[in-house]
Amino acid sequence: MLLPLIFILLLVGGAVLAAQSSINGRLGAKAGVIESSWLTFVIGAVLTFLLMFFFEPAQQATLFSVPKWQLTGALFGVVYMLAIVFAVPRVGTAAATVAVISGQLLMSLLIDHFGWLSNAVRPLDASRYIAMALLIGAIGLIYLSHQQRHRRLASQPS
Amino acid sequence: MRHALILLGVLMAGMGLSVEAGLLGPLGEQVGHLSATLSIFMVGALLLSLALVFAPKRQLGALFKQPRWLLTGGILGPVYVIVLTLATPLVGVGMTMVGILCGQVAASVAIDHFGWLGSEQRKVDGYRIGALAMILAALWLM
Repeated sequence: MLLPLIFILLLVGGAVLAAQSSINGRLGAKAGVIESSWLTFVIGAVLTFLLMFFFEPAQQATLFSVPKWQLTGALFGVVYMLAIVFAVPRVGTAAATVAVISGQLLMSLLIDHFGWLSNAVRPLDASRYIAMALLIGAIGLIYLSHQQRHRRLASQPS
Repeated sequence: MRHALILLGVLMAGMGLSVEAGLLGPLGEQVGHLSATLSIFMVGALLLSLALVFAPKRQLGALFKQPRWLLTGGILGPVYVIVLTLATPLVGVGMTMVGILCGQVAASVAIDHFGWLGSEQRKVDGYRIGALAMILAALWLM
């Protein structure tokens, strides 16, 4: 009983990400890319601070005691948010999502292959090479979809 | 051509996101997942505040003239984090990622197809279905 519930929860979690890209993209188109990203991070910081303040069990280590390089994740988060807010109004939510996911999966294959970020080494094997090719193919198809739509729109005068 | 460049940029941003996740997981184990997430949002908010101060043109006012629902993007990020922290210990990372990615891809195609959330309508076509199938196949292979 619990398992299907969790899976639905996960699907909702993913849908929430897509909705966030879409909403932020729209806001960015109206009020600016940096402005929209800024608001997202500020609201996120406020909410997570409240959640942490009241619900986080006490830990041995704190954000101030861990090595500083572990805190650099935000740099990537900011670049991601700016890219999404810029891209969504221009290429659509699905194309941006497919590109992000392909990038994530490609990078996780590389991280595994080289054992970066102190992960265990999991070398690329045949099925992982095929997975990489499929991801690149998916991006290609999304691009073709755009090209065709472009031609269609150009051929029918509005 | 411009379209291809944008897609490439987003692809690279996605690669960065994997690095972020790779840093965030172990950090969360040490200091707690909410604190780890807070570090991302906090540092990001501060960096973007600086960027805003020095940006060539600022239109912060325009932000608050938009309908309220357009300002809710920031609420959805923490929702995602909560789902992630609840689910991962129960079903494992692999299952969690598959569930999240399926929801994400399906919702993004639906948003475009129906033009939800005020986005421009982009109908599902053969290419898009092909792209979805390839992502699912890649997930299954990994």
